[in-house]
Amino acid sequence: MWQNYLFPATVQEALEMLAAHGGQARIIAGGTDLVLQSQRGQCAATVMVDITRIPGLDAIEERDGYITIGCQVTHARIAASPLIRQKAEVLALACGSVGGPQTRNVGTLVGNVVNALPAADGAVALFALEAEVEVADADGRRWLPIAEMYAGVGECTIDPCVQMVAAVRFRPLSDGWASAYQRLANRKALALPILNTAVVVGLEEGVCSEVRIAVGPVAPTPFRAREAEAALAGQPPTPEAVVRAARLAAEAANPRDSVLRGSRDYRKAMVEVLVRRALTEAVTKAMP
Amino acid sequence: MQLKAVGQGVQRVDIRQKVRGTRKYPQDFNMEGQLYAKVVWSAHPHAVVKRIDTSAAEAVPGVVRVITYRDVPVNEYGINVHDQPVLIAEGDKVRWVGDRIAIVVAETERIAAHARDLVQVEYELLPVVDDPRQAMKPGAPLVHEDRESNILKHIVIRRGDVEQAFAQADVIVEGYYTTHHVEHAYLQPDAALGFVDDEGRIAVISSCQWPADDLHQIAHMLDLPEDQLREIVPTVGGAFGGREDMYIQHLAALCAFVLRRPVKIVFDREEVTQRTGKRHPFYMRHRTGATRDGRIVAAQVELISDAGAYASTSIPVLGNAASFALGPYKIPHARVDAYTVYTNNAVTMAMRGFGATQPPFGYESQMDKLAEALGMDPVELRLQNLLDVGDIAVTGNVMTAETGAKETLRQAALAAGWREEDGHWIKPDLGTPSAPYKRRGIGVAIAYKNVGYSLGYDDKTTAKVELSLAESGEIARVLVKVAAVEVGQGVLTALAQIAADTLGVDVDKVRLALVDTTETPDAGSSSASRHVFISGNAVARAAAQAKEKWQAILRDETGEMHVEAEYTFHGRSVRPTTPFDPETGQCEPHISYSYAAQVALVEVDVETGQTEILKFWAAADAGKVINPIMYFGQQAGGVHMGVGYALTENYIQQEGRPRARRFSEYHIPTVMDMPHEFESIAVESAPDPNGPFGATGLGETPTLPTAPAITNAIHDATGVWIESLPANAERVWRALRAAHKL
Amino acid sequence: MLLEMILNGKSVSVEIEPGDLLVQVLRERLGLIGTKIACGEGECGACTVLVDGVAVTSCIYPAMKAHGRRVETIEGVAQDHELHTIQQAFVDHAASQCGYCTPGFIMSAKALLDVNPQPTRDEIVAGISGNLCRCTGYYQIVDAIEDAARRMGEGR
Repeated sequence: MWQNYLFPATVQEALEMLAAHGGQARIIAGGTDLVLQSQRGQCAATVMVDITRIPGLDAIEERDGYITIGCQVTHARIAASPLIRQKAEVLALACGSVGGPQTRNVGTLVGNVVNALPAADGAVALFALEAEVEVADADGRRWLPIAEMYAGVGECTIDPCVQMVAAVRFRPLSDGWASAYQRLANRKALALPILNTAVVVGLEEGVCSEVRIAVGPVAPTPFRAREAEAALAGQPPTPEAVVRAARLAAEAANPRDSVLRGSRDYRKAMVEVLVRRALTEAVTKAMP
Repeated sequence: MQLKAVGQGVQRVDIRQKVRGTRKYPQDFNMEGQLYAKVVWSAHPHAVVKRIDTSAAEAVPGVVRVITYRDVPVNEYGINVHDQPVLIAEGDKVRWVGDRIAIVVAETERIAAHARDLVQVEYELLPVVDDPRQAMKPGAPLVHEDRESNILKHIVIRRGDVEQAFAQADVIVEGYYTTHHVEHAYLQPDAALGFVDDEGRIAVISSCQWPADDLHQIAHMLDLPEDQLREIVPTVGGAFGGREDMYIQHLAALCAFVLRRPVKIVFDREEVTQRTGKRHPFYMRHRTGATRDGRIVAAQVELISDAGAYASTSIPVLGNAASFALGPYKIPHARVDAYTVYTNNAVTMAMRGFGATQPPFGYESQMDKLAEALGMDPVELRLQNLLDVGDIAVTGNVMTAETGAKETLRQAALAAGWREEDGHWIKPDLGTPSAPYKRRGIGVAIAYKNVGYSLGYDDKTTAKVELSLAESGEIARVLVKVAAVEVGQGVLTALAQIAADTLGVDVDKVRLALVDTTETPDAGSSSASRHVFISGNAVARAAAQAKEKWQAILRDETGEMHVEAEYTFHGRSVRPTTPFDPETGQCEPHISYSYAAQVALVEVDVETGQTEILKFWAAADAGKVINPIMYFGQQAGGVHMGVGYALTENYIQQEGRPRARRFSEYHIPTVMDMPHEFESIAVESAPDPNGPFGATGLGETPTLPTAPAITNAIHDATGVWIESLPANAERVWRALRAAHKL
Repeated sequence: MLLEMILNGKSVSVEIEPGDLLVQVLRERLGLIGTKIACGEGECGACTVLVDGVAVTSCIYPAMKAHGRRVETIEGVAQDHELHTIQQAFVDHAASQCGYCTPGFIMSAKALLDVNPQPTRDEIVAGISGNLCRCTGYYQIVDAIEDAARRMGEGR
């Protein structure tokens, strides 16, 4: 399958290894997706650059007004993190719903992003948190909005032959803010979502100061329901307003018919149900 | 006879090795100099194979041989009918994606896998028939071109005057019920190691259910006498009917035959999922009529099952389905038409219930529709119509001592909170749903099934019991030789318990010999819930004879240290069964029966259609309980399979091509999907005097009523009837939407 | 490549291919056949082993990831002839039928109880939600783990 398996000691060294193998090398963290992609012929790379032993990439920390999560951090650690549960609950819930415990113990949130699948639980939550992604390459490191990471289904805009993602970050949810996560699947564990939604709501004096609604998989990338967000922003979150927003989200969503996940019309209808429930839950939690 | 082992929660004889991970399954065996084989599978569900070019694969360093149809002495096999080519010949057809083109044998597994992809096959595609209802019509493309029609078998049952009886019914309910393909999903992927043994026999170590029948088919394929063949069955990681047909062992035997070297084949999960047999989908059109006071007067049903590409056991599965089509009820006027039809879908075969699993979804939905139409409690309606000892079934046979239907249902209903007041049954209060958009409902279903092979088949087991005596003359050790394959169900332990109590020794003195066709006599298949009854009888009787011989030794003081006895038990010796009468279907269908009644308390999310099972009660009467701990395990495991059947599992194919290809796409329930609370009720109301210690068999019945118990509960919660399985969220949502109840 | 790890308490060095998965190294190169392959895609837990105390599915776990780590397999759970308390509880509750999933369940149970010695029933259910069993319906497995936790608690 692979010809070489390398452990760089620094991000710099990892990037040098990528460069040295002229497109044949890939970054591997947990590998829960990459191993299967390699086995199924969907990834031709022959050299694995394992970044899980580079010091300093394993933190979940709050500083400078951001919560930053390093690229080694697994779903299990995020799901169990008191900081995340308190200040970005939606992400903890999303990461806690990935696969089974063993997958969560190994798979990373950043891997979720780099794989660029529209249903990835962690990534959908990051869309609602308006996360930024730290890309590292020969030119250094810079933060990009998460939406810019996505080119299509399974297509990340970073060049995996020369770039890597070092971390993600987002603003913690302070008082008056709350989040919620809703997921529909064919069974309660070990199942990709039929549909998932992450919402973040900020309330100020009884009015929604900000609303963010992310839904997957209803488009080639995790989907922000902007019309729905706009309809609720600036309004008091009455049940009627929430229902209206949920309907707008469903109208904007564009799921495909899927043999395994279900029909387009079912999933479109479910967008409304899940978004309504998530908004209701988040609004309730955000109330003083 | 004093019972010290039977009826006790005796520790499973194989379990200490299983918890240590030391028990060896076929993939855990390796031999010096072994080669590895990979199968080249058909790329299409229906096509003529024009040309097979193996040259590129053969040129790969490390490839030892590419075996094709030219290497097979007699290129056909099959469990009932030899209608399957072992390897498809040039000019012949592939009929489903599980057909095999060639076997690549190499020095390593990786080389074999690489070279397999280099075998070039040229196909000419043929139209695919993927729906048995279309396939049975005149003019449909033929799956087997030498037949006049794709209909493999049509069975009829005619009893009384159905038309006249319907005319007199006060209430008539109808339904069209469909079930889906289901994968056995045993955890251990099929594996086999073929080799030439020390005595020159072609031998195979494999996971299977019926070694003697495998040998019979391999002998035919290799054109060798059976005494030049051998099958060894170490530990089998689940089967559920899925290993009753051969999928791998004959291929390993063929490789060893051709190459005279050990050759190992291990399927991966995708091969197990896509290239082995499934449970039959059934299409069932029901009509049931009753009087106003709740007496069923007439019922008729048309069953159509999808046999897939080859016959396998589709005909006996259909026989079972026909005999159980209308449920365990007194129905004076009945008509059954049952068809099984070839298609280019997956081969369908034995799976837990063997044709008795699909019908309850039809007949138990009908019973709830009838109860609703009559305004009766569903338990009360059933009790009023269930078969009792002395009643006559739709096949004309008189129900005998082991008829436990009524008491099984009564105990399930009482456990679930039903009350009986003034002769009427009242369903329990269900409590408050956990959310405003959820509804609670409770559903009940009952089903029954044969124990042992049916409809005239000579079901038999031969067992040998060997006693080693101590100096004192006491029995020191007992060795039971019987080729009853332990697939997880606990047969080794149950037979050890039966032998121990028959002989009056401690169960830990009893050992079961490794199943090896050269050592252990034929015990039939690990199927039909039959081993406790058939093989248990054989072991008990062999043990009783051994005991007599031993007592004679003590009496005569011969000083012998070893005793042997062998007994062949035939099911027909206690009840001869007969085939369906071709005109009326009247017959004595089965040797014995067991019953299961279940109740599901569910909560349905009426916005998403999702169903959650809060509590589940499973009652079963299989006569005397041999081992209560294993009994619980069969009940819970059977319900697990039933929950998957009802809600989460679906082996989807489109135009004969698999779409649920692996475990990430085929969803057996996880621990979180099981009912939150589960109660198993052992009803020992109707022991069978012919069974060992009164036992019948429990292997299959607990799976049968689960799906209709759940869908009836969904109806109770929401008012919608679910007539197709699985009742997954989208299907329930569609039914709700159609009923404008959202 | 050379893979060095502490396997069931002993230092092990083994020459492997860079693409080997941990389960292949355990089963094929080291002969530890107690770790099972059932799905090959990390979806059933039959291949579960512990790496530095954490449960992982070894069928999708690159073997080199175990380099320098502590790896525990089912073979390391029992002390000589004495079954581990979890194993004994599985025996007593008949929590294994065909047995193919059993080593994986026991490793998941051990991972859970090593960090959470007195789990609630819900925590046990969550802890084994990545392991599939087709035979038992899971209840006896949950009972066994609950019982094992109780027995281990009494032993402390």
